[in-house]
Amino acid sequence: MKKTNTVRSLALSKLRYNKSRTILTATAIMLTTMLLMTIGTVGVALADMNRQIYAESDYHTNFNGLTADQVNILSKHINVEAMSATETFADISNGKMNGVLSCREIIKDARTTDGSDSSLAVHLESGHYPETEEEICSSPVFFRRVGAEPVIGGKVTLSFRINGKGEILTKEFTICGLEPDVEISEDIDDSRLMWAAHVSKALLDRYEADGLYEPAPFATLRVYGEDDLTFDEMTDRINTVAADIGLGEGDVHINKAYLFTVTDPGTETMAVIAIIGLIVVFFSALVIYSIYYVGVITDVQEIGKLKALGASGRQIARLFYWQGAIVSAFAVPAGLLIGFLLPCFLFPLALWLYQSGSAISSYSRDAVEAVAGQIHMFSLPVLFIAAAAALVTVAVSLRKPIRMAKKVSPVEAIRYQESSSDRKSRKGHREVNVAALAFANLTRNKRRTAVTIFTMGLSCVLFICVSAVLSSLSAEDLARRSIPRGDFRIALDYANHDKEYPENNLDSLVQQAYFNEAFLEKLASIEGVESVERASGVILSSTEIESAMYEDYHNRLPLSYFTREDVAELSAYLEQGSIDYDRMTANNEIVCTHVYSFEQYGLSMGDTFPLTLHDGSREIPLTVTLTALTQPDSNFSFLIMTEDTWNSLGLTCDPTTDIYLHVDDAHYDSVKETLLELVSENEHFTLYAMDVEIKIGNSGIGLTKNPLYLLLILIAVIGFINLINTMITSIVTRKKELGILQALGLSDRQLVHMLSGEGLVFTAGTLLISLTLGNAAGYLLFLWAKKEHFMSISRYHYPLWETVGLALVLLIGQTAITLFIHKKVKKESLIERIRNQE
Amino acid sequence: MKKHSDIILKTEDLCKYYGTGDNQVKAVDHVNLEIRQGEFVSIIGKSGSGKSTLLHMLGGLDTPTSGHVFIDGENIASFKEAKLSQIRRRKIGFIFQAYNLIPSLNVWENIVLPLGLDSKPVDESFIHDIIQTLGLSGKIKNLPNTLSGGQQQRCAIARAIAAKPSIILADEPTGNLDTRTGDETMALLKASAAKYGQTLVVITHNEEVAQMAGRTIILADGRILSSGESEVASDEEN
Repeated sequence: MKKTNTVRSLALSKLRYNKSRTILTATAIMLTTMLLMTIGTVGVALADMNRQIYAESDYHTNFNGLTADQVNILSKHINVEAMSATETFADISNGKMNGVLSCREIIKDARTTDGSDSSLAVHLESGHYPETEEEICSSPVFFRRVGAEPVIGGKVTLSFRINGKGEILTKEFTICGLEPDVEISEDIDDSRLMWAAHVSKALLDRYEADGLYEPAPFATLRVYGEDDLTFDEMTDRINTVAADIGLGEGDVHINKAYLFTVTDPGTETMAVIAIIGLIVVFFSALVIYSIYYVGVITDVQEIGKLKALGASGRQIARLFYWQGAIVSAFAVPAGLLIGFLLPCFLFPLALWLYQSGSAISSYSRDAVEAVAGQIHMFSLPVLFIAAAAALVTVAVSLRKPIRMAKKVSPVEAIRYQESSSDRKSRKGHREVNVAALAFANLTRNKRRTAVTIFTMGLSCVLFICVSAVLSSLSAEDLARRSIPRGDFRIALDYANHDKEYPENNLDSLVQQAYFNEAFLEKLASIEGVESVERASGVILSSTEIESAMYEDYHNRLPLSYFTREDVAELSAYLEQGSIDYDRMTANNEIVCTHVYSFEQYGLSMGDTFPLTLHDGSREIPLTVTLTALTQPDSNFSFLIMTEDTWNSLGLTCDPTTDIYLHVDDAHYDSVKETLLELVSENEHFTLYAMDVEIKIGNSGIGLTKNPLYLLLILIAVIGFINLINTMITSIVTRKKELGILQALGLSDRQLVHMLSGEGLVFTAGTLLISLTLGNAAGYLLFLWAKKEHFMSISRYHYPLWETVGLALVLLIGQTAITLFIHKKVKKESLIERIRNQE
Repeated sequence: MKKHSDIILKTEDLCKYYGTGDNQVKAVDHVNLEIRQGEFVSIIGKSGSGKSTLLHMLGGLDTPTSGHVFIDGENIASFKEAKLSQIRRRKIGFIFQAYNLIPSLNVWENIVLPLGLDSKPVDESFIHDIIQTLGLSGKIKNLPNTLSGGQQQRCAIARAIAAKPSIILADEPTGNLDTRTGDETMALLKASAAKYGQTLVVITHNEEVAQMAGRTIILADGRILSSGESEVASDEEN
């Protein structure tokens, strides 16, 4: 005779009988698996994408400021696997264009002994690297920019200053090679881009022989051991090589992103993925647990009957495990499949969104685009881990409900009537209306109500928390670094101390009074300009004493000032010393606003500088003392004095270097056009426009922001399942009670009001927790992100839209679910509902 | 059929069938019934004879397969849900075998619940009167799970009477009680209904309970075997 597994058959029939509960559990398990699989797959894709992007720039370090001897020693160093030397020969002199002419030589590449291309070499689409003095190569876009046709053999005339100083020379070159073309948005101002072209070693040698060029090569290196050593060991090896040639730490720039990726593939990504995965498991376990928990409570009588018929505690446990296993057998594979397919569609979408939001076409964007189609996403270990994590979640969620079920005694069960507390009586109301009914139900089991609100609240806390960081991840904040106020900034382009062309120095330019009243009035008269304001002025200072800081600025360091109103902000970020406006005015004290430079130049509190300030051709002596170090969000000059000290200098030239324009939205584009024209008339002016700066900001943060939004949506989905579960539980488990109320005359309308009222309490409680705990945690997370310099976050933005969205989704979702379930319940006749559970 | 102004509850060819073909069960089969205002009617029959189904349809809790139910001369099939709820609140008081009190409300709140649902003010002296009549004076703040079966059923009776409905429909009100408590409860129910002039329709297995009624209807296989027509007929003749 065929032996049947009674417990398994019973589990199956229970699943069929409690259809809505089965569907709910299956959905929760499926979504859990899906989320885990999605997160894992995105992790694999990110790691693979990073690996591919970084593989394009596979050097380990740059060594700067080398001598020819050092280059020579390096090329023979036992630990150096591959090496190129690059010399920046000259600055291109072409209006506002920033560009350099450089020369790169492969000195050694042990990897390419077979003759294949070295990744250190300049990659050319066509032609060859410059060999003669006349030859030049670059990307086609460069040649178009300088007005030449990008064809091999074409001619291009360039003006340049060797070593960035000296006289401007002009020379005709012949195009001998072309790099891959890139696309650059027309919105980006020239001043924001850096151009480069390559010339031959022969050219450099000739100018060096003539005594016009001082070589200062930097080396790009790979050291041996990439496959065997850890990140730290590789770093140590690089530093040892640097020490061997007597190079200081400041001249060693390790390619950490690449080294990290190759030595420790994806550890950081995996850690983030694991944390997100754990969060998903935690919240999903809560949801699945509460479904089973309620299941046991509703089934107490049935469990009691089974026990009365002789079922052991073990069999009851197996009954529940079988139910979990049967549902998981369908839900987990479905979740794995959807969880894999979802990122397959969403990942390219996120990349596409990133690209459409950014204006700058840079190397990394190109690389992203190139690899988007060939990212490796599938990983068998991820599949197994996601499946195992989902099953463990189900098993863990079942533990407590099973313990409860095992404890049910047959007698208790037959008599069972849900009494949530040990309360014997209740004060109650003289009259009972719908609101009182709803309230009575919520207070019947205060603990359950509180736990429900708390678990729903927790997922919303997480949502608000991530939102706080996301809304603070603002392209506008980044843009505000270039344009602190208004919509446009016209900046004076000046040199500090150009000996050959002193007319470009600030002290000369201020004598021209470019930003005079007439110019400002001209700006103000443009249609759509609401106001024009001057930024704090800047004056160049020099000193006779020895100072690394002044040396770095060619002994012309810009100084500016702060107002009494700025004291609060400066004090809020104070690192050392103290800021007292009047004392500082009285003693000519100054504030340093940059911690990194403060440390780099070895400054300390109390440092005194006897200065000469250059007010045009006039020189003003002033001795200042450094008494405070701070790092505020707003843009201040590196060293600032008080406004009163500044005013006491009695400047005769206008020290304005920046103008801010506020314009109305409707005229933004026309104003921009006029300004571009105006600015093109003066080679010393650079225009900064808010829309362009925002696009540049977006290029920087888009790739981080989009996946974070994806994470936010995932969190919201978990929270929403929790909400659905709560509402279904509260209605389905009370089907009989609600039926009785209707038998006593509760109308459908009143029933919906009552249920919505209960839901409203859950929503209000959840919102309260999200807004208190969530906002507090969100702010802390923001502070952490700011401290860690995560994506240049600097200013806290309250996640207003996310909060409003959350409130709306909770309210509408809860009402919609209430109506939906009520409609479903109504399909049963009143008497069926009353009989239910009897 | 002759229309009587004091007939409060009437059925016409009332049927309730479950299933189809060979599996069809005729729970209630062409039942015609008239119950007058103030009457105490008991319905008896074996398990499965259709008593409860009939009662549920009389109270608008269940919908008939065919036929009609008239309450106070109005066909309830034509009522929308809201109107039907109103009828249940105002004209009908239900008493269930399983008491069906609301566990989160105390005794007082359970009793005044139908009034609250109808937004009617609570006539406190009337409610206290019922509570006293039913012997629940010391229990008004108790939650249902602290009451004995008899006390719970008395609370359910108080709830059924509280809104002063014209009809009380009771489904095996003593089914879960021991004989003594059952007798006491029935006596209280009958006295209360008489005191407030209500029509009482009681389903029971219990012969003694049935005999307390002015008229007894016997159901078998969904059909009326006997409906004490003679009494109705004699009344009609009067």
